[in-house]
Amino acid sequence: MSGEPAWTEGTLLERASAGDTAAFAALVRRHQRSVYSLSLRMLADRFQAEDLAQEVFLQLYRSIRSVESETHLAFWLRRVTVNRAIDRLRREPPLSQAALSEADGLAAEPSEIDPILERRLRALLRELAPAARAVVLLRYQEDLDPTEIARTLKMPLNTVKSHLKRSLAALRERLGNEDPDGRSLASDARTLT
Amino acid sequence: MSDERNNRDLERSLRAALRPADPGEGFAAGVLARLATDPARAPRPRLSRATASWLAFAAAASVVLGLFVAHQRQVLRTEQGLEARRQLIQALRVTGEKLELASRAVNTSERSTDSSHSGA
Amino acid sequence: MSSPVRKWILILTPLAALIARVATAAPAAPLKLPDFDTLAAKASESVNVSLDAGLLGIAGAFLDPNDPEDAGAKQLIAGLKGIYVRSYTFDRDITYPAAAVDMMRKQLEVPGWQRLVGVRKDKEHTTVDIYISVEQGKTNGLVIIAAEPREFTVVNIVGNVDLEKLRRLEGKFGIPKVPVPEGERPSGHL
Repeated sequence: MSGEPAWTEGTLLERASAGDTAAFAALVRRHQRSVYSLSLRMLADRFQAEDLAQEVFLQLYRSIRSVESETHLAFWLRRVTVNRAIDRLRREPPLSQAALSEADGLAAEPSEIDPILERRLRALLRELAPAARAVVLLRYQEDLDPTEIARTLKMPLNTVKSHLKRSLAALRERLGNEDPDGRSLASDARTLT
Repeated sequence: MSDERNNRDLERSLRAALRPADPGEGFAAGVLARLATDPARAPRPRLSRATASWLAFAAAASVVLGLFVAHQRQVLRTEQGLEARRQLIQALRVTGEKLELASRAVNTSERSTDSSHSGA
Repeated sequence: MSSPVRKWILILTPLAALIARVATAAPAAPLKLPDFDTLAAKASESVNVSLDAGLLGIAGAFLDPNDPEDAGAKQLIAGLKGIYVRSYTFDRDITYPAAAVDMMRKQLEVPGWQRLVGVRKDKEHTTVDIYISVEQGKTNGLVIIAAEPREFTVVNIVGNVDLEKLRRLEGKFGIPKVPVPEGERPSGHL
């Protein structure tokens, strides 16, 4: 970004810990996409997602001295974001369909797949229970492996694997059942590739 | 094999569907403005000139973003209301469960007592 | 065969009306609940709800009048001044918290409070007591103390508990459904 020194994340962390607000702002900009995306796909509401993402960074500011490294920072942000999102989902009733339809925010890059399939997948994801949804997002959005997911969520590894297996099966079944032409997902995949 | 292929295709589609989304412009500025009005923020060490300039900018931005803070308060009130509702539903559910327990116990009790005038 | 729940509600409502004629002014304050911290520390699940009149008002504002469950709840809480629930679930059988229950029972031994239901099931180590407080023909307090082998619950509802409205919530929030046979209606509404 213009005017921003190309400091390493380690340097930004050190400076932010020392009270350098500009360094903290740079950290926010580097991680806002990841934190916001996790919030958005968990909460399915852009305003709530933005609010939650801001809260996460506020909490980071208060706790920054306890963040030891860049790796720790990424882990910390994911864990806090997901935990706060799950807390909110437990407190609130499900969103209306109108709110859900607005939740498909703008992605940073253009779609590689059929936009209808993309919307459908995101909608089906919202039907997963919060914990399962979190596991799927950490796997396919954040690209964590099951062991990292288990650490992030403080969840047994077998539970993570079980969530992944069942969620994929559920998504596959729903997509297969809902194809208007009666085609299975296998047929769609051949078309997409 | 076909199942494995299906899974791989689904996983690929999921990764594509879940590519990151950007928050609105000014997100970082919003965080800083909120920080400026956050009473729980950690104490800061002595400010450098650059930091002082940045804070002056943040203070000016907070006037404009005052509406945003009001919105956040509304969000908080909504959260509190929804939490109260959740607790109410939970309380009614527990009450219902115990009434059901009492009814089953009355129906099948080995030794039920008549209503008594305790303490009168 | 009449439903057991309907049976005990039929018992309750005229009895409460009878008691009302002789009851003196009943306390409207919530029960002073014991400190359940020790119990809570051992519980695998806890429910701790304390909704005074203010919080009930806030909760009521967030009930959806178009949703049948919410609408029923809204009606039920209209006359209430408070709902207090402490419920603890355990992974293993617990010792009956006799001291805590005694402390609560002492508060219910004052004029105005009557025990309407008291059941002991020795084989199942279950006791359930239901007390009501009545003033001028209206129930203005309800206490349930339920002890099971792995669960202990206290419910205190303060205010005008409309048993008829509670009955109308049957089938919702886990309150059992009471089918009313044709041509028959419960008598002695409060």
